[in-house]
Amino acid sequence: MHRISAGRGVARALTATTAAALALSLAACGGGSGGGSKDDGKKADPAAVQGALDKPAEITFWTWVPNIDKTVALFEKKHPNVKVHVTNVGQSKDQYTKLTTALKAGNGAPDVAQIEYFALPQFALTKSLVNLADYGAADLKDKFAASAWSQVNVAGGIYGVPQDTGPMAMFYRKDVLEKLGATPPKTWEEFTALAKKVHDADPNNYVTYVDPGDAGTSNSMVWDFGGKPYTVSGTTDVTVNLKDDAGAKAYANTWGPLIKDKLVDSTGSWNDEWWKSMAAGKYALWMAGAWAPAVLEKNIPQAKGQWAVAPMPGGVSAENGGSSVAVTTQAKNKEASVAFAEWLNSDPEAVKSLNSEVGLFPATKALLEDPGFRGADVPYFPGQKPNEVFADMSKAVRPEWQYLPFQVYANSVFKDTVGQALQPGGDLTGALGSWQDRIKSYGKEQGFTIK
Amino acid sequence: MRRGAVRRNVTAHAFFLPFLAVFVIGVIAPLVYAINLSLYQEKMIGGTVFTGLDNYTKAFKDELFHVGLGRVALFFAIQVPLMLILALLAALAIDSGRLRAPGVFRIGIFMPYAVPGVVAALMWGYLYGDRFGLAGEIGDLFHTELPDLLSEHWMLASIGNVVTWSYVGYNMLIFYAALRSIPEELYEAAEMDGAGAFRKAWSIKLPALRPALLMTTTFSVIGTFQLFNEPSILQQLAPAVITTNYTPNMYAYNLAFDGRQFNYSAAIAVLLGLVTVLVAYAVQLVTTRRERML
Repeated sequence: MHRISAGRGVARALTATTAAALALSLAACGGGSGGGSKDDGKKADPAAVQGALDKPAEITFWTWVPNIDKTVALFEKKHPNVKVHVTNVGQSKDQYTKLTTALKAGNGAPDVAQIEYFALPQFALTKSLVNLADYGAADLKDKFAASAWSQVNVAGGIYGVPQDTGPMAMFYRKDVLEKLGATPPKTWEEFTALAKKVHDADPNNYVTYVDPGDAGTSNSMVWDFGGKPYTVSGTTDVTVNLKDDAGAKAYANTWGPLIKDKLVDSTGSWNDEWWKSMAAGKYALWMAGAWAPAVLEKNIPQAKGQWAVAPMPGGVSAENGGSSVAVTTQAKNKEASVAFAEWLNSDPEAVKSLNSEVGLFPATKALLEDPGFRGADVPYFPGQKPNEVFADMSKAVRPEWQYLPFQVYANSVFKDTVGQALQPGGDLTGALGSWQDRIKSYGKEQGFTIK
Repeated sequence: MRRGAVRRNVTAHAFFLPFLAVFVIGVIAPLVYAINLSLYQEKMIGGTVFTGLDNYTKAFKDELFHVGLGRVALFFAIQVPLMLILALLAALAIDSGRLRAPGVFRIGIFMPYAVPGVVAALMWGYLYGDRFGLAGEIGDLFHTELPDLLSEHWMLASIGNVVTWSYVGYNMLIFYAALRSIPEELYEAAEMDGAGAFRKAWSIKLPALRPALLMTTTFSVIGTFQLFNEPSILQQLAPAVITTNYTPNMYAYNLAFDGRQFNYSAAIAVLLGLVTVLVAYAVQLVTTRRERML
């Protein structure tokens, strides 16, 4: 049987090489082990920043904000010498993956990149971003809402210009609450009572949902309950306290029983099923950042007029999402890049465009306090002034929250730990403990002093 | 004479060179690079240090890695035999000459393979949904509640279903090609000896399929142990069920791109490659031994 043994030889050769090659192509994607930031020997010059926009320059800008090219076009009109190449390489995690790889490889990173607040410390501490304070960015402080500015301050430097913020507010279905004769809850006790009411009226409906894969919202909830589970001092000392932190405990004590009694739904979000549920009125409330109106309008335009906005229960708030614009250490023309990032997010004309044409919730004080902005009509919410609620929530954000310098990783293992408890039968308090353990052991491995 | 031999050698090497270049760049270099990467440890605080085999010792004790490995092994033990038997039956049926339009069957069964894995997972994800998906609607139709196919108990089976759907056609085609290469004379001789259709299938077709079976099993070993696309897509729908270490490949991905632990991730990838080679080799050993026994 010669044919058979020949076939076996081929198969064997295939086995050894293909198997190994397939397995390792993944590792190869990891990029160079060296690389990272290279000091180009030039000193930062704050005075050169403004003049940089009069000279010819090209800037690459990674962002996933839809329609931001409108604001960029404004910039190019004002500064015809500067050409900005806007590229969308993916949203959030996808972009960070590419950015991490490019920064590691030593080339291929953009000059300017959108980075969410929670990811900023990670990129700042790995020396991937330019400290904007060296270029005089400290002067911008008074232009921005305190809750935004504090989030770009990392380890004594300024690593991004705030672009948008996401103070949390409570979105509710007018039709659902009306049918139950209920009003939007003003306290967390009222929220718990409403949860029972909604579910009793129809076992298919819930007051709201929890997403076992959404670390961001849970962090914001802990923040909203007054928690400060992460503390970073200097660049190497990190305290993680999710187990005993008062805010984390309050969060677990409010949400834990609701999850246990199946009074809130446990579901993945932002997928097709979830949007259908949102449109159908399955959830009476949705607590989300002030960016939500744009997303609602885009995904469930048919629900226009059914949603309304109210302050968070308890009247205090937390940030949920929001991005800054940062300059990478690979930027070829740092002065022009810094000047562009500053203009885009602080020039009065630019921030107006970002809000009205791009749909971002503002980070600048001037716009947040502008009566024209506060009283603006939002077609999705007829007869309401949603911006007024958002602007008040922005002021009500609890101060002094900090993210971990490796929040991207911490958030990624959220589903392995806390996510397990965000479904019926889970033990939320215990799960916060196991999340803490995973975070701590990772931090130690990365060379941090962990307490 | 000698000069002629040298010239012949040079010509041979010249023909061999393009392959060698691609092989070195595409296979050997990444392998060496990954192995090298796995011997270091890079910290956010403290930079890169040579740690020898530390990453490997860590992996041997890493329960998160073991859980994922156990899961794909289970998947391999159940899904692969099922898929190959289905593919085999389809190939035998098409080859039997008793189907009315064998071409339609062949293309129909092969078609899912042309659907990209990510799209297939997305599509099945919609179908599995117990609220607005097909599963939910069937449940409503019969006024019962179907089991949640995206729950912890069903997830692996649901993924197995997607993979089977995608690859039955591909494996069927390999079997079918092997069946077509059997010389007609063998069948004629068997008929002379009074063999019926089943006897022919058992005594001629199945033995002739052994090399094809070895190949499909080998590919399946590789595919299974590298399972990544389907669980990654379904993770969106069931984040608590599909954890970051659901399969070893997902674990390596999470380590590298969320945790920036490129070195440890490389070690995991090297070990996963080794395990894959070992299992594939074991499959070959078993098949070869059977062959000798016959």
